[in-house]
Amino acid sequence: MISRAALSFIALALMATPGRAAQDLTDVEEIVERANLAAYYVGDDGRAEARMTITDQGGGERIRQFTVLRRDHADGGDQDYVVLFSRPADVRNTVFLVNKHVGKDDDRWLYLPDLDLVKRIASADKRTSFVGSHFFYEDGSGRGIEEDEHELIETTEDFYIVKNTPKDKGSVEFSHWTVSIDKETFIPSKMEYVDETGAIYRRIEALEVSEIGGHPTVTKMKVSDLRTGGYTVAEFRDVQYDLGIPEDVFTERTLRNPPRQWFSSR
Amino acid sequence: MIDGQTARLVAIFSMTLTLPWTSRAQQQEETSWEDDDWEEEGLPVEIHGFAEGALAHRVKEDPVQSDDFLLGEARFRLDLSYFSDRVDLEFKGDLIADGVADEIDGDIRLASVTLRTVSWLDVRAGRQVLTWGTGDLVFLNDPFPKDFVSFFIGREDEFLKAPSNSLKLTFYTGPANLDVVWSNFAPDRFITGERLSFFDPEVPGLVSAETMGGPLEPRLPSNDLGELALRLFGNRRGYELAAYGHLGFFKQPVGFDPDEDVATFPPLAVYGGSARGTMLGGITSLEGAYYDSLDDREGTDPNTPNSQLRGLVGHERELFRNFTAALQYYLEWTLDYGNLIASSPWPQYEPPERRHLFTTRLTHRLLQQTLTLSLFVFAAPWDGDGYLKPVVTYNWTDSLTVAGGANILLGPDPTFFGQLENNSSIFARVRYSF
Repeated sequence: MISRAALSFIALALMATPGRAAQDLTDVEEIVERANLAAYYVGDDGRAEARMTITDQGGGERIRQFTVLRRDHADGGDQDYVVLFSRPADVRNTVFLVNKHVGKDDDRWLYLPDLDLVKRIASADKRTSFVGSHFFYEDGSGRGIEEDEHELIETTEDFYIVKNTPKDKGSVEFSHWTVSIDKETFIPSKMEYVDETGAIYRRIEALEVSEIGGHPTVTKMKVSDLRTGGYTVAEFRDVQYDLGIPEDVFTERTLRNPPRQWFSSR
Repeated sequence: MIDGQTARLVAIFSMTLTLPWTSRAQQQEETSWEDDDWEEEGLPVEIHGFAEGALAHRVKEDPVQSDDFLLGEARFRLDLSYFSDRVDLEFKGDLIADGVADEIDGDIRLASVTLRTVSWLDVRAGRQVLTWGTGDLVFLNDPFPKDFVSFFIGREDEFLKAPSNSLKLTFYTGPANLDVVWSNFAPDRFITGERLSFFDPEVPGLVSAETMGGPLEPRLPSNDLGELALRLFGNRRGYELAAYGHLGFFKQPVGFDPDEDVATFPPLAVYGGSARGTMLGGITSLEGAYYDSLDDREGTDPNTPNSQLRGLVGHERELFRNFTAALQYYLEWTLDYGNLIASSPWPQYEPPERRHLFTTRLTHRLLQQTLTLSLFVFAAPWDGDGYLKPVVTYNWTDSLTVAGGANILLGPDPTFFGQLENNSSIFARVRYSF
């Protein structure tokens, strides 16, 4: 009993100080859970300004700029997001609200300011383009880790390489995807999606990682559609964590009347 | 055959067409931003807007309208806003060069101040567009002014809602929140006989401003206390529940004063409720309302509408990636129908006791969501009338949007959509936003 308790203590200590982990992790579920927390659940809440540059196969460029607020109900659990668009001009002041639920469909709303209309969005498919970019809704809020089988296929000097195979093949467009998880920060650094023929057709890369409030944070990432040559680069700035954003910011109130204090940079 | 007016319309349209192209070069310059240029506003006031050209042409001859164009206008919008933690100031105003009405017109869409001074109250005062309720292009508990003329002649969807001068207070208690809206009476932008002709049972037949010797000019309510609209709303585990109340007037000139031979807006109270949530693999909504026609509760006055019960069931889901389908069933049940028929001077033209309406909206988004194909259908199978609105919208760039479509109205004359059959049209729009 004593040795078991001692072992758990060591495991906890290792988890708390990832930088000093001398030994590689071998439990793929633990790796995936920690990557999920590092990518999507930093702090109890957060805000960021985001700019997406969408480049289509012909080289045409479009910009989507917005401020995003997030609040966690529990680490690894339900979350709320609210997005206020500032560019392009024709979607300016459009607000998008998500109550993300783990294990069931999210609730999503869109507010169209010209009509003062709160529109509820049918959200069956999370793998559709987010505002015309090459990112999917799921890339932004995280794919439920319970939706895939995980397999640790390689441990390199810097990365854990995990293969993820969907439990429900009919719900997704890939046959599997692999992710390179940074051994020190647990930030997913590269994700590649593989189709039935074994070809990689989609890639997401973390291009820049910065330390913000003690948390390693991806501040620039790129998603490429390798079939069409189109890609989207997302940049994040003014990232802040643990602001104490109240629960009621993630309700209809914000859709109709966004509380500017949380959206403006401070 | 190009007559003078057509030429003028085309001139207006091509002027607005050229505008985006000159601006496009400018825009391409803008997108080559430096890495740290996030287009931060140097001014406290944000300046935006758009320039738009729009044309709509009848697809069939209307014997009571001499103009084959329903729409031929250049619209310029100025959008000014100032946002701060506690106060927002917003203005949206349109200047319209209207080739059909042959005039320069202005329309202030928004001129409001928003206050967030205490945690339990938001205030918005001034001219504003207001919307609530769960219906898609079907309104039960939304008492705010609509503009179906704009909708039927092919203007952008945002013009379906007209602004009103209102004071809106929203009280937040957490579990249940309350909207209180007081407004000056603002009617719908209803069909006056200009551009769109309609059925007049007195004739009986189709009439227009040309045949009537001028547009329909109803008498506004003399009571200047304004209108009150209430909404009690909350969200229970993803289910949005609301109760509504409205005390005011019909927004369409559905009443008639035989002494003065003028159309009127009779007094009206509405009570209702709605629920909306994720159910059956999509968004399901339910709404009901009781229209209490305060001046004709027995239904015996032929010049004032009877009370009605209205009900709506809707369901929307994504059928496959980027393709959504929505269905609605709407019932309008006229109460004391026997009294209406007994007192009506033209019972054969009265709408049925129960009007059943089905709507479908199909939306397909393609080319990285830059191309949108949409079709909205209203169908009243028992009355034999319907309305189809196919629209193709393409976002050429972030700034330039082109749209084309049709408004096809079908059915026999006295029916709601059938009387508008001759106003069926095709339309095209180009908008440059900045």
